[in-house]
Amino acid sequence: MEHLLSDPGRQSDTLQLEASQAFNQLAAMTVVIGFEGSANKIGIGIIRDGEVLSNPRRTYITPPGQGFMPSDTARHHRAVILTVLKEALEQAELKPADIDCVAYTKGPGMGAPLVTVAIVARTVAQLWGKPLLGVNHCIGHIEMGRLITKANNPTVLYVSGGNTQVISYLERRYRIFGETIDIAVGNCLDRFARVIKISNDPSPGYNIEQMAKKGTRYVELPYTVKGMDVSFSGILSFIEEAANKMLRSGQCTAEDLCFSLQETVFAMLVETTERAMAHCGSQEVLIVGGVGCNLRLQEMMGVMCKERGAKLYATDERFCIDNGAMIAQAGWEMFRTNQVTELEDSWITQRYRTDEVEVTWRD
Amino acid sequence: MATERNLETSKLEFFLDVPFPSSHEATIALRSLDPDKEPRRGGISKHLSVSGSTLSVRWSADEARILRVSVSSFLDHLSLVVETMEVFGPPVDL
Repeated sequence: MEHLLSDPGRQSDTLQLEASQAFNQLAAMTVVIGFEGSANKIGIGIIRDGEVLSNPRRTYITPPGQGFMPSDTARHHRAVILTVLKEALEQAELKPADIDCVAYTKGPGMGAPLVTVAIVARTVAQLWGKPLLGVNHCIGHIEMGRLITKANNPTVLYVSGGNTQVISYLERRYRIFGETIDIAVGNCLDRFARVIKISNDPSPGYNIEQMAKKGTRYVELPYTVKGMDVSFSGILSFIEEAANKMLRSGQCTAEDLCFSLQETVFAMLVETTERAMAHCGSQEVLIVGGVGCNLRLQEMMGVMCKERGAKLYATDERFCIDNGAMIAQAGWEMFRTNQVTELEDSWITQRYRTDEVEVTWRD
Repeated sequence: MATERNLETSKLEFFLDVPFPSSHEATIALRSLDPDKEPRRGGISKHLSVSGSTLSVRWSADEARILRVSVSSFLDHLSLVVETMEVFGPPVDL
């Protein structure tokens, strides 16, 4: 009894201490909102210390046979961006005041859509009185992949409609070990889809993947690996030329072509990724970018990894395909190492190589 | 709003004044719209300034076609800034 009576003072001290610890923890949390719109997706995501609070996205889908043009894509993004921003805040249950930093894609990508999204990011950053941060799109993919899969130091295969790179981290840079010397692998797939009028909904790549499952006959296509680099434009020309002839004459089906194209281009990607792993002594592979959600690519990469005793990491379409959270995540890493972008330096750039960015947040 | 041919430089010029509720908002618009410059050798230049609560833009171009493209894209961007201010403004006081 006596003991308890002498205790209240200490108890309230303890409570106070706990409360202040909880407060410090809360205050130390960093919330970053990320704006992405470098191609035909517009996405806005919010990240709080590794937790994805919201990540809404819209895709500009064109009719079969048509690609997306910069000015039409920018118009699409302008029409929906404020709705997506409202959704991002509502789903995260946050007010603008809760946000610590506004990140946006500085590049690479299509100019007109990049500018559209950057303008809204700059405007809200000023309205809310928050610092702005320009993020390299490729770094966004890598950091989101690392966050979701917990891969520590992987060899990265970054494959999308605009980019094809094999990347490895070394001394504060994501270094490009191999890349396409012409068009991106996703661009090759998208343009093949246009030739034989495959739907762009939800994406040409997804529809090729589904059709490829029904392909039975392998049509030989040019296989173009040049050292660490790959080339897809010759494959595209070949299949553009041959496809409709072969389909008309009944030599093969559209499904066979989808199958053959996937097998050929994915084999090229697996080969160069394996060579980069051997070079770096790496035992981890991370696949990122829109083409990275293709399960056949993941399967082929998985076979190679198994043979080498390596581990494969991949994510699903929520994080593989362009999204706002990936820009928020890379922004979070940058912001935590005290990086910000002054408004006058916040111009967008269509060309922005992965290895231009100094990685201040990794050892 | 006015377009004219500058007789000394023989360049086409275009002037635009945009009123904002306050000079703070006019400055926000300027800082959102100014960072992306016109192409260096594109035969066009654009200059933004704020005076009071008015944002002023001045273009100078070699060809009408280039001027039209730049002005029209600027107007798209300007209306996006204004819409963003309407939905997510007014600006907080720092």
